[in-house]
Amino acid sequence: MKKIVSMLMLLVMVTMLFAGCNGSDDSSSSSKDNAESNESTSGGDESTNGNSEEMVDGKFVETRKITVEVFDRGNDGGSTPEDNFYAEFIKEGMLRDHNIEVEFIPVPRWTEVEQINNLLAAGDAPDICVTYDYPTIQTYANMGGVTDMAPHIEANKELLPDLFDLLTEQNIYYNQDPNEGTIWAIEARLVNLARINTFIRKDWLETLNIKEPTTEEEFEAALIAFRDNANLLLGGEADRMIPFSISFDVGWRADHLLQSKIPSSTTEKEHYTLGFDDRHLLMPGIKDGIELLNSWYNDGLIWKDFPLYGSGDTTEDNLMKAGYVGAFMHNWDYPYRNGDDSINNSLKRLAGDEAGYVAISPFKNDSGIYAKYRTAPVDRKVFFPITNDEPVASLLYLNWISQLENRMFLQIGEEGVTHEVVENGAIRTIATTGDKIMNSPSNIDYTITINGLDLGDKALTIQSMALGYVGVDSSVIQQAYEKSTDGNVFLENHNFGEITAETGMGPALSEKRDTLLTQSIVASPDKFDQVFDNGMKDYLNSGGQAIIDERTKAWDTTY
Amino acid sequence: MIRSHKTKIGDWIIVAICLIIILVCLLPLLTVFARSLSSADALIKNKVLLWPVEFNLDAYKTVLGDSKYVWALLWTAILTVIATLTSMFMTTICAYPLIFDSLKGRKFLNAFIILTMYFNAGTIPNYLLLKDLDMLNKPMVLVIPGALSVFNMIIMRSFFYGIPVSLRESAQIDGAGFIQILLKIYMPLSKPVFATLALFYAVGRWNGFSDALMYMNNRRYYPIQLLLYNILNNIMQVEVASQEGFTMPGMSETLKAATVMIATIPILIVYPFLQKYFISGVTLGAIKE
Amino acid sequence: MEHKKSAAFSKKMRSMKNYMKRHWTLYLLLMLPITYFIIFKYIPMAYIQIAFKEFSIVQSVWEMEWADNNGFEYFLKAFSNRDFLYALRNTLMLNLLDLIVGFPAPIILAILLNELAFKKFKRITQTIVYMPHFLSWIIISGLALQLFAPTNGFVNIFIQKLGFESIPFLNSSFHWVWTYVFLGIWQSVGWNTIIYLAAITGINPEQYEAASVDGASRLRKIWHITLPGIKSTIIILLILSLGRILGSEFDRPYALGNMLVSDVSNVIATFVYTNGIRGLQFSLTTAVGLFQSVIGVIFIFGANSLARRFGERGIW
Repeated sequence: MKKIVSMLMLLVMVTMLFAGCNGSDDSSSSSKDNAESNESTSGGDESTNGNSEEMVDGKFVETRKITVEVFDRGNDGGSTPEDNFYAEFIKEGMLRDHNIEVEFIPVPRWTEVEQINNLLAAGDAPDICVTYDYPTIQTYANMGGVTDMAPHIEANKELLPDLFDLLTEQNIYYNQDPNEGTIWAIEARLVNLARINTFIRKDWLETLNIKEPTTEEEFEAALIAFRDNANLLLGGEADRMIPFSISFDVGWRADHLLQSKIPSSTTEKEHYTLGFDDRHLLMPGIKDGIELLNSWYNDGLIWKDFPLYGSGDTTEDNLMKAGYVGAFMHNWDYPYRNGDDSINNSLKRLAGDEAGYVAISPFKNDSGIYAKYRTAPVDRKVFFPITNDEPVASLLYLNWISQLENRMFLQIGEEGVTHEVVENGAIRTIATTGDKIMNSPSNIDYTITINGLDLGDKALTIQSMALGYVGVDSSVIQQAYEKSTDGNVFLENHNFGEITAETGMGPALSEKRDTLLTQSIVASPDKFDQVFDNGMKDYLNSGGQAIIDERTKAWDTTY
Repeated sequence: MIRSHKTKIGDWIIVAICLIIILVCLLPLLTVFARSLSSADALIKNKVLLWPVEFNLDAYKTVLGDSKYVWALLWTAILTVIATLTSMFMTTICAYPLIFDSLKGRKFLNAFIILTMYFNAGTIPNYLLLKDLDMLNKPMVLVIPGALSVFNMIIMRSFFYGIPVSLRESAQIDGAGFIQILLKIYMPLSKPVFATLALFYAVGRWNGFSDALMYMNNRRYYPIQLLLYNILNNIMQVEVASQEGFTMPGMSETLKAATVMIATIPILIVYPFLQKYFISGVTLGAIKE
Repeated sequence: MEHKKSAAFSKKMRSMKNYMKRHWTLYLLLMLPITYFIIFKYIPMAYIQIAFKEFSIVQSVWEMEWADNNGFEYFLKAFSNRDFLYALRNTLMLNLLDLIVGFPAPIILAILLNELAFKKFKRITQTIVYMPHFLSWIIISGLALQLFAPTNGFVNIFIQKLGFESIPFLNSSFHWVWTYVFLGIWQSVGWNTIIYLAAITGINPEQYEAASVDGASRLRKIWHITLPGIKSTIIILLILSLGRILGSEFDRPYALGNMLVSDVSNVIATFVYTNGIRGLQFSLTTAVGLFQSVIGVIFIFGANSLARRFGERGIW
């Protein structure tokens, strides 16, 4: 036994010596070389002449190779993202139409930013990368890690008709720096314009003989009715009654209410200088909304334990499924998602067949509109790291992926396998397993220039979308869609160049915002002002005020 | 340890305390176990505390039926064995020479080694190093970079200190070389510490996933805890959901609980096997003759 | 004169040669570990420079520009940030509590286990007591919420049934700190006893027999034999723990923390995660890390010297 062990150890030692002795020890040299060798190519001189060099009929004479980032969600039963039916479809198409070889680089969804950091530092980043966070790209750009897309887009406009069609000039030039003219990233198109909805228990309203609330007072009255009739509605479990549920992400989960407090007289300038936070924290009127929530909380109308549960905790969802929650605000189709496991379906199973949530619109602003302030229909940002030496090929890829037939195929797949056509021509998606499974809804991970189903015809698209929810009547979905998009106000995009005060501050300020709002709601009414004001002071002192000031200056110098 | 067999009050008090401790330590694991055997609806209604409600084995059937998990379990077991042997080897050849006061440069070497516990430059530098060594995505990247834990090395070294110097001195007089002394005197007497450190390395490797997360992209070599991390990682989901406008159906709670059990039980079983090395120092006493 | 010098020199060379002849095997053994440390620890350490430089993802460390204020820009940035100072305070406070309450716990438990008269029971207890170590903090926090949530937690429901008010285990800063510390002990105490148990097995049983003969009580035996027997282990672990006084665990505070207790639950690790990592401020991250390392080293130096003064062997 001893002999075997010592032999084993000897073997291990020898193997290690060989394994460890490969390659140079100088970690600094390789990334340096990469950076240097690429400085020349991204300068734009090669590619602005791209046309003359290699193209015939939109196809390259010599095969080009590009790499594209694809999210790996590691989901159960999912296929390998870089090598499945849809990846093959794209690869074949790109080779056939443009003579471009495409390789997908899978990046784990959960650690995406760290992975891209690593890959960028090592010079291995994919040619085409995608992210939700523009400041990240700005930071990379400031370090010299991103290719400027502007010259390449200008030089090759004629080759990119579908890209311009889908994205429109607004999205393509959305991030163009007005002073430098650089475009570090283009914006994907958001076609599904529904964002958040207010939901309420339809069966409870019926039991208590209340009609669907259309004003804030009616909504509050409904919540009070839920609370006071807990015994009737929940019988033995009356103590579990939650009239209104919310989470620590107050800005998102009370969005409609908060937005209704913003005066309609708010100027465009104020929207620009104060509206940079995507939960509208600094907009006028928000404090009133939070004060209302504070009074609701202290009156027992809001879930008492809400601040303790972090992102991704399923406790709140379980409470909804078990039937204890009367109303809440969330993503526009939240109770209907996830098929059999959806909140609505679980509710039916656990609380009876009539139980269900329906979307309502009770929060009017001072002009009587259900205003929902939105930035332009932008979504993910697509960018080319500095290591990309095929910018034209990459742009052609983006164009190809934006062509209606290609992206439609990716979004609905094969008939009979991932979708079926219903009588009026609408499309119903079918869940499938195996290689043709879609790892992300409508294969959003592949259709990086669009978010949301698009079948070319708007009405058809909405009808088809409505069919995609198991166990829910399409009229319910349609109502939800309408309520969620009613009152969408798209704010003008003002781009005055980089706001340096925003660099690196995103996550920290968001956390402060959530803490401030959560603590304000939970405070006792007499302490409310103190808690809210102190929290706001901290937010402003920690960088919020600096952003406001810089934005104000930028606005003033331009107008 | 030889004791008088008369059990006193003190013994019973100790037993009582230990019982309480056992309960406190066991119950949470029992909860997870109970959850893995319950139905999804029972979990939604939060009815499961210590006992399964609506007992079923579906969760286990699903997980064990998925070759991805079974393979990950097997691979992690193999990896753990290789990593533990490598680490024990490295730790021993590092700790042993440092106990000799006569070794020149000993103080410097000690400081040189211990300082590495404190100074760490972060993910990107380590990534770049491993890339240059061409170790990324190869199984060895899960063994070699973490092969030697300074903490464990210090433990082993202080154990070696505890072995009477007279033993080695008499051996040296008899003409034994350093390696012989290691093999014939120190190792046999160090069974408890070897068992301890083997356990530490094994558990560390079995439970570790952050290196695989950053440096291993080849799915075949994912350790089981990395799969678990992907499953449990609802933490990011909500952020992602509000960005992307949709949620991916996460795994059901029962499946999560079952995966936790399956990932944890194998390594729990290792300790009882090593327990025999923790018996008292009969060996030490005997050598004294 | 020359003669003496060269004679002294060749004498030195001879004693060097003799020394190497005898000790070469030791150096051979050390070769592999030293190589390991150089490659995997010291080479990446070159990147610690970025604490003083402007990090650029496309440049090598040597090319990056120096930061303002003689390179101390990011240190200044950290220390002028109120959140960082709070994080520093919280880290120290939580680590100190962990040390004071949590360091003795496994020692006591190990001694207790050692005193167990029933062999089988001892084995079972040992095996069970270290199980919580295997649960990740994500899972533990879920369980903690199930038990300790103010309105829905099982424990609080029970307390309320008894007629008392629910205890804010997780939502009041003061209570949260103790919950944090005790959950930490619960998770690690069993595991940490392993080292001490192994150390106890190294104690010569004859000592106990001799003491029994002398009529010593159980407590006296523990005090005079067991504890001194594991003294060196305790000292080493104490020194190493002190070196981690500013070290910051991420998982536990991140999983257990929530917005109501953020004034105590934000520690250095979570600060770095939010500002440094997610905010992509690499230089800041490294600067804070360097600060932690330096303080840690100062502490182990101090602890080590103190131990030596008491006649103990230090860690180097």
